[in-house]
Amino acid sequence: MADPLMSLRDLRVEFDTRHGRVTALSGISLDVMPGETLGIVGESGCGKSITALAMMGLVPNPPGHVTGGQILFQGEDITRAKPRRLRRLRGREIAMIFQEPMTSLNPVFTVGDQIAEAILLHQDVSRAQAEKQVVDLLATVGIPEPARRAKAYPHELSGGMRQRVMIAMAISCRPKLLIADEPTTALDVTVQAQIFDLMRDIQREFGVAIVLITHDMGAIAEMTDRVAVMYAGRIIEQGTSDQILDNPLHPYTRGLIGCIPVLGREAGDAASLPPLAEIPGIVPPLHLLGDGCAFAERCALADDYCRAVRPPLEEKGHPVACHHAGQGVPA
Amino acid sequence: MAAPDPIVPQTGSKQPGAAPPPATPGRSNEASSPMREAWGQFLKNRPAVFGLALLAVIVGLVLYGHFIFDADPYDIVWMPLTPPGEEEGIWLGTDFLGRDMFTGLMKGGAPTLAVGLSAALITVVIGITMGSLAGFFGGWLDDLLMRLTEFFQVLPALLFAMVLVTLFSPSLWTIAFAIGIVSWPQTARLTRAEFLRIRELEYVTAARSIGAGNGRIIWRVILPNALPPLIVSATLTIGVAILFEAGLSFLGLGDPNTMSWGLMIGQNRNYLLDAWWPVTLPGLAIFLTVFAVSLVGDGLNDAFNPKLRSR
Amino acid sequence: MNDAPLMSVRGLTVDFPLGRGGLFGKPQMLRAVRGVDFDLAPGRTLGLVGESGSGKTTTAMAAIRLAPASGGQVMFDGADLMALTPGQMRQHRRHLQVIFQDPYSSLNPRDRVGAIVREPLDLMDVGDPAGRAVRVEELFTLVGLRRDQMALFPHQFSGGQRQRISIARALATNPRLIVCDEPVSALDVAIQAQILNLLRRLQGEFGLSYLFISHDLGVVQFICDDIAVMYLGEIVEMADRPTLFSRPRHPYTAVLLEAAPSLARRKSQGYRRQGIVKGDPPSPLNLPPGCAFASRCPQAQDRCRAEKPALRDTGAGKVACHFPL
Repeated sequence: MADPLMSLRDLRVEFDTRHGRVTALSGISLDVMPGETLGIVGESGCGKSITALAMMGLVPNPPGHVTGGQILFQGEDITRAKPRRLRRLRGREIAMIFQEPMTSLNPVFTVGDQIAEAILLHQDVSRAQAEKQVVDLLATVGIPEPARRAKAYPHELSGGMRQRVMIAMAISCRPKLLIADEPTTALDVTVQAQIFDLMRDIQREFGVAIVLITHDMGAIAEMTDRVAVMYAGRIIEQGTSDQILDNPLHPYTRGLIGCIPVLGREAGDAASLPPLAEIPGIVPPLHLLGDGCAFAERCALADDYCRAVRPPLEEKGHPVACHHAGQGVPA
Repeated sequence: MAAPDPIVPQTGSKQPGAAPPPATPGRSNEASSPMREAWGQFLKNRPAVFGLALLAVIVGLVLYGHFIFDADPYDIVWMPLTPPGEEEGIWLGTDFLGRDMFTGLMKGGAPTLAVGLSAALITVVIGITMGSLAGFFGGWLDDLLMRLTEFFQVLPALLFAMVLVTLFSPSLWTIAFAIGIVSWPQTARLTRAEFLRIRELEYVTAARSIGAGNGRIIWRVILPNALPPLIVSATLTIGVAILFEAGLSFLGLGDPNTMSWGLMIGQNRNYLLDAWWPVTLPGLAIFLTVFAVSLVGDGLNDAFNPKLRSR
Repeated sequence: MNDAPLMSVRGLTVDFPLGRGGLFGKPQMLRAVRGVDFDLAPGRTLGLVGESGSGKTTTAMAAIRLAPASGGQVMFDGADLMALTPGQMRQHRRHLQVIFQDPYSSLNPRDRVGAIVREPLDLMDVGDPAGRAVRVEELFTLVGLRRDQMALFPHQFSGGQRQRISIARALATNPRLIVCDEPVSALDVAIQAQILNLLRRLQGEFGLSYLFISHDLGVVQFICDDIAVMYLGEIVEMADRPTLFSRPRHPYTAVLLEAAPSLARRKSQGYRRQGIVKGDPPSPLNLPPGCAFASRCPQAQDRCRAEKPALRDTGAGKVACHFPL
């Protein structure tokens, strides 16, 4: 097996809040292989966005602190890297696209200027060469009339077009790793489908590894090779996408899959569909986490042991952190 | 992002008839209104609390001081322009007529504060009325009211106030009215902006959907939510109005029959080169009052700003 | 649909002013809803589905006069809502309630949640004060909240709980129709399921009718009996649930179904999406003469670009397409 492109080793991130210091990520370990797509899935507040920011070396400080573990990119620990080195890595080796493409683009410059700026920052090319690259990139991400659109301002483009511009900017320096934090949440379904197709094409063409942060199990199925399920700052289940979707072992994963209304022709034409599976309650606030399993309060299988002792991530077919893994009604 | 929400536990879904689960122990279930939270935040702000305490002392002395030091501020008690501390019982010296400065400061504060408060009240009443009507109804009414607001905004404030005071008798009420007339456009614009913002929020549509009329929506729904910046602005207007009154009095346009801090400065300014105290002391009183009001206003501003609250 | 409809909408049209061209210019109008017809049967759920800009929310809000309509007729309970005076309309509101999309902006932050749920009872003058208090307690239990939470303020609740408060407020006056404007799209998936199950349970218990607005076909399939698909201010296809999902007739419906993510479409099995639509919808200010979808439609022919298709009966539903699938 090849060496991982990026690996998190027992990563710990803490945040200062008005409730004191809380642990946002407690001991996250995962590998991203070259050219694969890794999904990170969970509800809001589970720590998936912090994980993405940590991979970029962008944990906001203050109030955030990386207090333990390593973030290895091609063997180099970026938690120890100098700011200058980090800036070189960002954009050139690791790039990121965000949920809201409108706020990630500067409204007072044309999109062409912004992409050219990113190219000039990292590559030793002339302004004219950079501008030619911009047009090529916009064509690559499927923007019609790229030469004309390069002169457009962000507000003149639709949401889908803006996300394409963000992707063009992200791949401008041929990064090895692309982190996509809920890239299609703000978009319509037909546009989401276009963006997903574009991301797959980009991956095939450039061999870039993608980390896809999402709350949508459908996106996981369609886009990813492997999945890590996060809950309250920990990975609670990890495996190939088929393992997770077909044979989920953690009650939380089962809930996440069972609570989605199944779509379309697959559902048949039942007169009335059965009620959805529910996960009662909400993700507990980080400052109220106890010693036991963080999911126990919402879990139908939880007993006193669960509430007292936190289950470790153990190999039970695939890694899962649950004392009752695989028990109960499968999703 | 990672900052957890201050949320009470969700009860989860239940079948009909199921008993509600008991409250999870250890989590607050106490009601806390946005206003009460802002007050708690205000109390954590040391300069603001200092300002409030200073203001309380000033107001207390001005309103109740004469119960302790009962004297007539117009009485000539000693030689004119006696420096502070030279004569026993005349701690702060005398003015150009030989009147006691200390008594003057005590008695002169009430009219000064009254002008400030009345002017702020006039400002708020006119400003909120104009702003809320313009912002809520929009259209031609908005156009009309905003042109009117602009007209008053471009009036040279001091000049206009001077004309008003000259035309009518220079009483405290004329002065307060003159200040109010030239300061309301700012409040009106602020109110209108808040109404325009809040008008689009779903809870306003929600109120309409349950049959609330325009009056109820303006007064009960939008205005309470628009108040925080208006309170801050009204507080700061008090300070501005006090300075304005002092300015008018200094120019000799104050009410000559009512002892006020501004009047004291205005009457004594010709003797400034011979005696610093008859001008400086009321100036200091005005400065401290405006300073205290500003601290309170800034504190309110921070307390109402939710972005600062989580720190 | 065998019963007489509870609400019947005909030719509903909504225009938005777009600001003026210069000081004395004529205000430009954007036609957001262009002649929409639909019927909603008692006790059933009609879904309005579409992407942003399709006019689905505007259609529903105009139908219950929370947005101004510029034309059309809305029959509800024997009365034409468009013809009522504002006072009469306010009286009708007790039968027509709304659940909004954003649980964070749909509750007045200055009011206690008990007062929020009680407000419609006060405004409509339902019962006596003691009876209203009892009713509010009932409603809290009904939507899965605790009575001791009535004195709290909205910001002390999570998104899912706020949506429950919204539901309790909507139920307060025993309405017959509730407009649900994307009621779960702002919630986490796990919470979505809680709210959707609750809405379905309440419908069964009280025989409510829902006009359900959503962009999420999975959600629509779970909760709706009949579905109207909207594109650029018009209904392009309308059918009952099994028909629409098993045999979409309009190419746009087919594209929507194809685009929606689903657990069965696996990267591991080399899933590639068929018939993906290209580009963005045309500007509603400058619509083509023919079918509005023609510019993106994989099946479009010359006739589609020249001649606008009408909404026709197909036996199992209605479709506005010259060449239905």
